Amino acid sequence: MGLKEYIAKRIVYSIILIFAVLTVNFLIFAMLPGDPLRMYMARVETHTTHEQYLMLRQQLGLDRPLHLRYIEYMIRMITWNFGNGMIGGGVSVTQQIMERLPNTLILLGLESVFSIIIGILIGVLVAHKRGGWFDTATVTGSLVTYSVPIFFIGWLMIFFFAVQLKWFPLGGIQPQSWGRHPPTNALQYLAGRISCLVLPTVTLFLFSVGGWILLARACVLETITEDYVVTARAKGLKETTVLYKHVLKNASLPLITSVAMTFGFLISGAIITETLFDYSGMGLLIWEALRGGPAPDLPVLQAIFYVIALCVIIANFIADLLYGVIDPRIKYG
Amino acid sequence: MATRKARMSFMFKRFKGFWNQFRRSKRGMAGVFIVAFFVILAVFAPVIAPYDPISPKWDEGKYPSQTLPPRIAEKLCSPSWYKYLPWIARGPTETEEFFWVNLTKFAGISFTAFGRLSITDVNDIVNVSKGTFDEYKKVATDDQIRLSHAAIERPQLQIVFPNGTIKEVPVQTVWWNLKSPAVVGGQFGEPAYVSLRSFITSLKATLGDDLAYTAFEVKYTYSRDLTENVEIVPEFQFSSNQTFYENWNWNVTGKSSVEYNSDKGVDNDGCIKVTYNPLAGENESTVVIYKDFTYPYWEPPESFWGHLSIHYQGAPITITVFTQKEGEDAINIINLSATELKENALIHYYHRTIFPAEQPVLEASDSLSPEKIMWPSPGNYTLAVEVSFSGNQGTTVYLDDFNVILYGNTFGLLGTDNAASSAYPRDVFSTLVYGTRVSLIVGILSAVFGTVIGLFLGLVAGYVGGITDEAIMRVADLFLVLPTLPLFIILVVALKLVYGTVSMWNIILVLTLFGWMGFARSVRSMVLSLRERPFIEAAKAAGARKFYIINRHLLPNVFALVYITLATSVPGAIITEASLSWLGLGDPMLPSWGKLLYDFQSSGIAITRGLTEYWFWMFPACISIALLATAFILMGYALDEILNPRLRMRR
Repeated sequence: MGLKEYIAKRIVYSIILIFAVLTVNFLIFAMLPGDPLRMYMARVETHTTHEQYLMLRQQLGLDRPLHLRYIEYMIRMITWNFGNGMIGGGVSVTQQIMERLPNTLILLGLESVFSIIIGILIGVLVAHKRGGWFDTATVTGSLVTYSVPIFFIGWLMIFFFAVQLKWFPLGGIQPQSWGRHPPTNALQYLAGRISCLVLPTVTLFLFSVGGWILLARACVLETITEDYVVTARAKGLKETTVLYKHVLKNASLPLITSVAMTFGFLISGAIITETLFDYSGMGLLIWEALRGGPAPDLPVLQAIFYVIALCVIIANFIADLLYGVIDPRIKYG
Repeated sequence: MATRKARMSFMFKRFKGFWNQFRRSKRGMAGVFIVAFFVILAVFAPVIAPYDPISPKWDEGKYPSQTLPPRIAEKLCSPSWYKYLPWIARGPTETEEFFWVNLTKFAGISFTAFGRLSITDVNDIVNVSKGTFDEYKKVATDDQIRLSHAAIERPQLQIVFPNGTIKEVPVQTVWWNLKSPAVVGGQFGEPAYVSLRSFITSLKATLGDDLAYTAFEVKYTYSRDLTENVEIVPEFQFSSNQTFYENWNWNVTGKSSVEYNSDKGVDNDGCIKVTYNPLAGENESTVVIYKDFTYPYWEPPESFWGHLSIHYQGAPITITVFTQKEGEDAINIINLSATELKENALIHYYHRTIFPAEQPVLEASDSLSPEKIMWPSPGNYTLAVEVSFSGNQGTTVYLDDFNVILYGNTFGLLGTDNAASSAYPRDVFSTLVYGTRVSLIVGILSAVFGTVIGLFLGLVAGYVGGITDEAIMRVADLFLVLPTLPLFIILVVALKLVYGTVSMWNIILVLTLFGWMGFARSVRSMVLSLRERPFIEAAKAAGARKFYIINRHLLPNVFALVYITLATSVPGAIITEASLSWLGLGDPMLPSWGKLLYDFQSSGIAITRGLTEYWFWMFPACISIALLATAFILMGYALDEILNPRLRMRR
């Protein structure tokens, strides 16, 4: 199987996954027993007449048979047309998502870079000195941060660095003093945005770095006992060269798969972090859809879920490609 | 076939061997101890937690059924053990604060604005440069001097001129209402004000612009204390005549008498009986029944709640409840007129609750919160009920369930919450203890269900192979790709939309539904390698059926993984449940840790007051979640080191 064939296979697989996600998303809504719209109306407690109800029903396309709705839904999702949510009016969901998505991706990207690099460095170091006090402390520490709820880390960050020390703003996407007129100076603009990014990034970093340390440690431990490592050492190579060139390179394959796999996990953390820090991303959009109106806006939540799942699938696809490029067994196999 | 007994003893031996190995892992043992601790908390929650975790009530069921029972404490109380902390200041404190004044004239009208000067000594005022004053003036300010604490006595006011001379200004009653410590224009619970506007205007007339760089020094006394709930009448049901005669006294004018009655009370138990037997020509009589008590705190109570049940036979009466500090005037808490009583109390018992919002209370309080006037400082007080008769008709009055509770600002082991969704503030400690149950049940059950499903599907997929394998693994792949928390949110919202609320079981269901894939994968890969082994072939050759092989040969070989997965998937479930509740997607009637934190988050206290003031509301729950999750992970980690064959080999 050559590289091209491998890529083609992954593309087809990803497309099938996207369709599956869309179907699951559709089914959740379609399989609700009873009439969700009527229940939603009852929850909202606005005095809607029967005519209004019928009109909304028609607008949302709920009066058509299921298979037609499915096809229509698929077309809408693929053409990136998410409508206006249950209540309608206001900004279209597509526009909202397009505004928020980059913010979330910036946050996640920044965080991932830091946590992966630092996590793997520490993981390798710890695996090398397995059994020592540093190993025990790091592993225990990682296990603990892994299980501390992220909103706790976030609260501590807010309290110490925003409320007490006032080093960073409390939250938001840009400093509050800017209002509607961000500075035109690029350097100033960047500094302001970064100051708002620091606390959410550090929170997410603390939340996920433990997992990376443990994973890197486990992967390295798998390879560190291999014969070629002994050979490398016997050749008289420096220990750092052995660790980072021979051990880490071979241990990195499962790590790459994990980069994509943890993306979904990270998004769970991001939802809470963004809500805590009022950081205007997809997570905050979820919170707004949950709490903004009188009742949770399910169509908006579905659109968000679809976009997030799409991101995860794309991340997986990229990881697969990287895997194919790095692993010679796939390229020349 | 080994006998049952032999098998049991073998199992026991194996467990003993395993335990000996496990015991050596410090992390594993730490995990076991922590989990055991939480299990004990969960099992004995009703014994350990003193109050109901959702809507706790004081003396529930003891008050008449027509009355809503009182709350256990005021909201946002601090822990009651704060009183043992020596660094928390209690009692009266003298303090001085400095202010500056800014005079501006706009369209012929002069404006006065005050601001705080951040200095602590009078002599510093001379050193404050004019530039600094000018800086201060740019900041928007109050039109009154706003002290940072409520003063308990008349403050002293001094003017410090720029040249260093200090002039004492007598604080006039216009600016300062002696009866109420905090003052003119003040709102309930607000710090004291000194209104000086007219004074400043007159000063300016004589001194001119000299005032521009003048500072004001206010010396005053305020008091801080940690107050606890005071129940003035613990034996409010009057069930024994001995306690009645010991605690209560009465003054009678006219032809009336007070005695204990043992069967005319609300539930046919004891009550106070007041009889009026006028002689001919007499038409007035008053009875004051009172109880002495001590209020020991340097700060007035946060609020109060009272109750009185009245029943009478005969002519109309009026009833007044009042409180009085030794040597001062009585302050009425409630006046029950003859008309209010006549409608109800003539036939049945009339049950009346007493709140701070009563009319006479408000009149007496001069726009200050009433409890601050009634019980302003430590001392001896009396609580009294006055019954007035008029006319010449013989009348009998029965009084029962008479109580007043003064709510303090400390309560319980971990204080109280802000009673966001009910009228009853909750005891945080009780919610925390009961929350252990939710977290353990959700965590363990969804881990067990997920693991069992994963084990089953993994075994089937691995051993049966073919289309079954393909189908199961593709679904697993799909589920693994779905971002869990957004998906859970959608599912829970959908369930909520349909059923109105989310129950704990909904969350367990959702967690189970998406908690089996990882384990199914690893079981499958293990089975794939196992089924090529000779012993499976031998079993097949011996004519064993699929189910038998899975049950007897494959299952025991993958079972070590089950324990590890069980331990490591509990924390995820616990944290996910907490996260969902934290987002407000939990059962509102379920006392879970996540809900506790949701209440904290939505109260906004983390931002407005910081974490240190209300740490007890949020820290223990967060730490409990972290501890419990870590404990399971540590256990899983220790199990992994013992049971995982690959790791074991390296030892």
